Amino acid sequence: MSRFLDRLTYLRKVVGDFSNGHGVVTTEDRGWEDAYRNRWAHDRIVRSTHGANCTGSCSWKIYVKGGIVTWETQQTDYPRTRPDLPNHEPRGCSRGASYSWYLYSANRVKYPMVRGRLLRLWRAAKTQQRDPVAAWRSIVEDPAKAQSYKSMRGVGGLVRSTWDEVNEIIAAANAFTVKTYGPDRIIGFSPIPAMSMVSYAAGSRYLSLIGGVSMSFYDWYCDLPPSSPQTWGEQTDVPESADWYNSTFLMLWGSNVPQTRTPDAHFMTEVRYKGAKVAVVTPDYSEASKFADLWLHPKQGTDAALAMAMGHVILSEYHAKGKSAYFEDYCRRYTDMPFLVRLVERDGRLVPDRFLRASDFADKLGQANNADWKTVAIDEATGQLAVPLGSVGFRWGEQGKWNLEARDATGAEAKLRLSLAGASDDVRAVAFPYFGGIKHEHFPHSEHPDIIERRIPVKTIATKDGNVQVAAVFDLFLANYGVDRGIGDVNTAGSFDDDLPYTPAWQEKITGVAREQVIAVARAFADNADKTKGKSMVILGAAINHWYHADMNYRGIINLLVMCGCVGQSGGGWSHYVGQEKLRPQCGWLPLAFALDWHRPPRQQNSTSFFYAHTSQWRHETIGVDEILSPLAPRRLSGSLIDFNVRAERMGWLPSAPQLEVNPLKLTRDAAAAGKEAGPYATQLLKSGELRMSCEDPDNPANFPRNMFVWRSNLLGSSGKGHEYFLKYLLGTQHGVQGKDLGEEGGKKPEEVVWRKAAQGKLDLLVTLDFRMSTTCMYSDIVLPTATWYEKHDMNTSDMHPFIHPLSAAVDPVWEARSDWEIFKGIARTFSDVCRGHLGVEKDLVLTPLMHDTPAELGQAFEPKDWRKGEIEPIPGKTMPQMTVIERDYPNTYRKFTALGPLMRKVGNGGKGISWNTEHEVDFLGRLNGTVTEPGVTQGMPRIESDIDAAEVILALAPETNGEVAVKSWAALGKATGREHTHLARPREDDKLRFRDLQAQPRKIISSPTWSGLESEHVSYNAGYTNVHELIPWRTLTGRQQLYQDHPWMLAFGEGLCLYRPPVDTKATAPMRGTRSNGQPEILLNFITPHQKWGIHSTYTDNLMMLTLSRGGPIVWLSETDAKKIGVEDNDWVEAFNVNGALVARAVVSQRVNPGMILMYHAQEKIVNVPGSEITGARGGIHNSVTRATVKPTHMIGGYAQQSYGFNYYGTIGTNRDEFVVVRKMVNVDWLDRPLAGAAAE
Amino acid sequence: MMIFKALSALLDYPSADLQAMLPELRAIVDRAMPANATEAGNLMALIDELGSAELMAVQERYCELFDRGRSLSLHLFEHVHGDSRDRGPAMIDLIELYRRHGFEPHPRELPDYLPLFVEFLSQVETKEARNLLTDAAPIIALLRDRLAKRGSAYAAVPAALLAIAGGASVSPVAQAPGADDDSFEALDRAWEEAAVTFGPENDPMRAGTGCDKAASWVARINAPR
Repeated sequence: MSRFLDRLTYLRKVVGDFSNGHGVVTTEDRGWEDAYRNRWAHDRIVRSTHGANCTGSCSWKIYVKGGIVTWETQQTDYPRTRPDLPNHEPRGCSRGASYSWYLYSANRVKYPMVRGRLLRLWRAAKTQQRDPVAAWRSIVEDPAKAQSYKSMRGVGGLVRSTWDEVNEIIAAANAFTVKTYGPDRIIGFSPIPAMSMVSYAAGSRYLSLIGGVSMSFYDWYCDLPPSSPQTWGEQTDVPESADWYNSTFLMLWGSNVPQTRTPDAHFMTEVRYKGAKVAVVTPDYSEASKFADLWLHPKQGTDAALAMAMGHVILSEYHAKGKSAYFEDYCRRYTDMPFLVRLVERDGRLVPDRFLRASDFADKLGQANNADWKTVAIDEATGQLAVPLGSVGFRWGEQGKWNLEARDATGAEAKLRLSLAGASDDVRAVAFPYFGGIKHEHFPHSEHPDIIERRIPVKTIATKDGNVQVAAVFDLFLANYGVDRGIGDVNTAGSFDDDLPYTPAWQEKITGVAREQVIAVARAFADNADKTKGKSMVILGAAINHWYHADMNYRGIINLLVMCGCVGQSGGGWSHYVGQEKLRPQCGWLPLAFALDWHRPPRQQNSTSFFYAHTSQWRHETIGVDEILSPLAPRRLSGSLIDFNVRAERMGWLPSAPQLEVNPLKLTRDAAAAGKEAGPYATQLLKSGELRMSCEDPDNPANFPRNMFVWRSNLLGSSGKGHEYFLKYLLGTQHGVQGKDLGEEGGKKPEEVVWRKAAQGKLDLLVTLDFRMSTTCMYSDIVLPTATWYEKHDMNTSDMHPFIHPLSAAVDPVWEARSDWEIFKGIARTFSDVCRGHLGVEKDLVLTPLMHDTPAELGQAFEPKDWRKGEIEPIPGKTMPQMTVIERDYPNTYRKFTALGPLMRKVGNGGKGISWNTEHEVDFLGRLNGTVTEPGVTQGMPRIESDIDAAEVILALAPETNGEVAVKSWAALGKATGREHTHLARPREDDKLRFRDLQAQPRKIISSPTWSGLESEHVSYNAGYTNVHELIPWRTLTGRQQLYQDHPWMLAFGEGLCLYRPPVDTKATAPMRGTRSNGQPEILLNFITPHQKWGIHSTYTDNLMMLTLSRGGPIVWLSETDAKKIGVEDNDWVEAFNVNGALVARAVVSQRVNPGMILMYHAQEKIVNVPGSEITGARGGIHNSVTRATVKPTHMIGGYAQQSYGFNYYGTIGTNRDEFVVVRKMVNVDWLDRPLAGAAAE
Repeated sequence: MMIFKALSALLDYPSADLQAMLPELRAIVDRAMPANATEAGNLMALIDELGSAELMAVQERYCELFDRGRSLSLHLFEHVHGDSRDRGPAMIDLIELYRRHGFEPHPRELPDYLPLFVEFLSQVETKEARNLLTDAAPIIALLRDRLAKRGSAYAAVPAALLAIAGGASVSPVAQAPGADDDSFEALDRAWEEAAVTFGPENDPMRAGTGCDKAASWVARINAPR
């Protein structure tokens, strides 16, 4: 037979087993597997993220079954990166995963809640009078009634209410306050719009429509580095995390990347495999230290000394010797180093003063426009003075010359001379201040005089005021670092081993870091930057930005990056990832958020100055201005810190809230009655002294903030520097303040502020929106339940990656929760009804400071003059705040809230100093969202009813999400620069993102002039990239990266150039040390508050899993040495206290921590396992119970190019790292498990 | 059983309606429970308390007990699943139970809310109600004990439920030791970790075996140079 017939063609014989019996074939029923299939079955998957403040913006898949969220997993469908880059995913960390269950948590706020005592008063009042406004008045204007509920804040007593009732109370309070005191007495605090921008906009839109005040967060959190606006005219712009992978030398400086930037840390670890070196600078052995090739651990707070020494090494080896052509070219073109500075004689010394300006010359060097604001350099080829293009004077009043081309104002090519060496007519000794000799109980100092003279080449120039000597910034800069220029100066270092400021040997005593390590890191950093043209990067964290003299730490690092040409280069630059999270579609969001479609300008306030004044922290100020002035200050500026703030408010440098001691609605009526315009009328009254600004009298009831909204924030539990002062003065309730105020102490009182008896309980109403019972909720009068991250539609962006990400309503809000958008919409609706009869169409006089990125940033070019003292005429918008009359139609607030107003069509849109027509987008939104059909003020306008409608407004108007707008915005910028930029957006002109697109997949945004980097297929996003590569000026005085700060206040406080300043002495421990003994030994430690491991970034430690993984309650970290000194063992209860208050926590005794400091993770809630304090007798306290905000005058400068106010851009910052605490073991741990004495319900 | 409906109402947020209904609830309790039972007496005491005080004072007390924190959460799965991901599937199972009986739970409330669950019991046959109640008994006992410890009259409701289920002596669901004990010593006990000594000889799994190689490494590292 043929084998052909043996072989089966269609059949195969069943075999029982195979693989030598290892495999068995069975045919049993597999139905049992369905159990598993059903276990993992779901109705749908929704994309959302956690809108926490951690910059993660991580994509998550939310599984929903039967209307219940069942579980979630990380999404892994991010758009791919380029072939030479690792991908972004998987993002999302274990902490994020553990927080999703807040949705169903017992900690959730489920119903609108009202303080019982207030609700009783309200219901009783409502039975007396039907009118809600009159009812509210009858409560808050009766001191006994007001006191009865204010004094119970924070001690329980909340009951459930209904939405109708709480809306009515809130609306009545707002209407009464607007009518009686003025709309600027209603304030709202919400941070980080990028984490859920529609939710932020809901509250700020309502406030802006009624004339209320939106409060800043970035400066208040102390995450804003003022050094960034000072140097770049930019709030903060940073490389995306993927760009770490393009770097070849990384420094992690005070940034704990694996712990606080978890989803991004992989780029850092991956690039090490490519050969990149990593140097880590942290005082403690942090998680980041483990990744270091070299770990430097300076004493906390001395980072600037380390940075100065590194700069000294680099400048000595490279710049002084001309070793790097790349550095030289970069410094010439992109920094202020070639610009000329006037030297003035003072007390027999030559001192650097302000930049030479075109207006210093009789012919103004040919500049008719803004000659005061055009800086001057020398053209190397001709040796003649040149007015280089790009300084701020070219930005306003003319077009086409605001760029960084190597030309002067005439259009001729100009190669600027970097150093006057070789072109000088003299070498002179110039004086620099030195602060490193200041003695501090806890920080080492060096024995050098407070003024150091160093010799530099100078040149004499004939100006309209006669001959002046000038020097180039380059020469001043090197001299300041003590770099030897070969001109025989005994005050410059011949060797790195000389003990002269700022050599590696000098820093050794201050920082404790071995000089060899400093030299090695500096050389490696510069060598790498030279060879790679700028691929050295510093990732730095707010840890070093929370010091009073934070600017020095930051500018020390910025100087390193700039001198090595790293800023604006892929793989290089300044990577400060803190807090602001980068609201990418900013220009689309601004109109929605601040109701710019209806009224311009909105009221915005810098929170640090506000809280400093209104929580009366100024009444306890211990730092004298003379302690921080430069020994070279031109005159002894007098007054206390709040005096400087008041002067800044008067001169229009910083905003004010409340603004004037008279209700602005009344002021406009008075003006009309007097037959005058409101602005000039108010100006006249201010000048004559008949009218005063509120800032001059914060304890006068006419100037209290009255109503406050807090949403998306745990202001009192996490971010309230000077927590106990908030409780005592703003809320008027139980507090732990231990110190006496200046009145009781007999201290020196401020000059500009009325001193009266301290007011307590200024706020009539505190409303908090949250989804969990936070510490802030506990102190609020009304708590509103909000939707969580899986119950609302919103959008989220981060500075860490270039994608815009949605939050999606996977399920409806449970219980009575509503989204922030619906909540504020509801309040607006009730307000519109309740205010009738009390408020109609009103005229409101709005004061705004001299804003950055507007022509007003050209304020006073020289020595500032105060109109209040008669030094100059009060001119709104020039020497005092701008004044604008805005018509508010109060009964139409709700209609305006829900429609895109007419100003978008009439005035257009814009941002950062440019503007464009946006009619096309308004038409588009009318078609997409539908238009209002009901007759009234909004008929025919695009609807903004739902949170998705609001998101579409942002997406349509923003250049980052609408390619057509991007092209328009680049064209608008091109008019100012005279250069063609639209090529940056043309390839994506037809790309228009919609909310549903984002839900399908996170989308990469489109390059826009709002930001200084590019989103492209060729480079990763890196800040300053378009400045360097498109020749767009930085938004500074010189138009370059400005390393010399010439404002008179900067010079007076000694910070013209970067230097080392030791921490300030807050004097908070002396009155407490040994005076309240419990028998245990005490120790003084520096109080440091980094971000934690057991919570998402700075929020939410009340989660059970995180509590289980850490120690279940508040903890502080101590070194073994310090613990031993006070007899503390690991896990003992300890108390830390000073005049500001007290906190209790368990001790973690660890080798990780340096002796001399105590470390407490941020934002551990007062409501979780906190016993009573032995000092205050009240419950524990939080990390901010021992802090107090202290403001710095250099942060108040305004109307001066880059140093002009912008919301969350410039202003005082809430520093808290210089604080010391007394630490000791507790003897009596009291859980206070009994009713509060005298707090029984009425 | 109407008693379930009454108990559900008693455990829900107190309202003016509830106060108005108290006489009726009293009658239901009278009918359903032996007059001399402790449970009945305690329920009457709760009813008295709810009726005698001003509504808002009653509400303040309720919020203080039940609207804050985990310890007295009226959501059953909070006590067994907490913030874990098992909670979602557990809730779905419960919803499906309600649906099998032809009920759709209120969309604003979670299915494991005790007053909701007890209201459901009032709609099913007594035997099944008892069975379901027995399943939940350990959690209900936990609530009973914690409320009793705080001296709250509300302890009467879970106690009555357990009595009806026929398991008045049921012991509470196992909790981490000291979970409801706030004393200094208890917290110390809960937080205390055993001290760790490194090295293979301290590995309890290999007691007495030791590892020569590792020991020799350690010796070499420690040797003075």
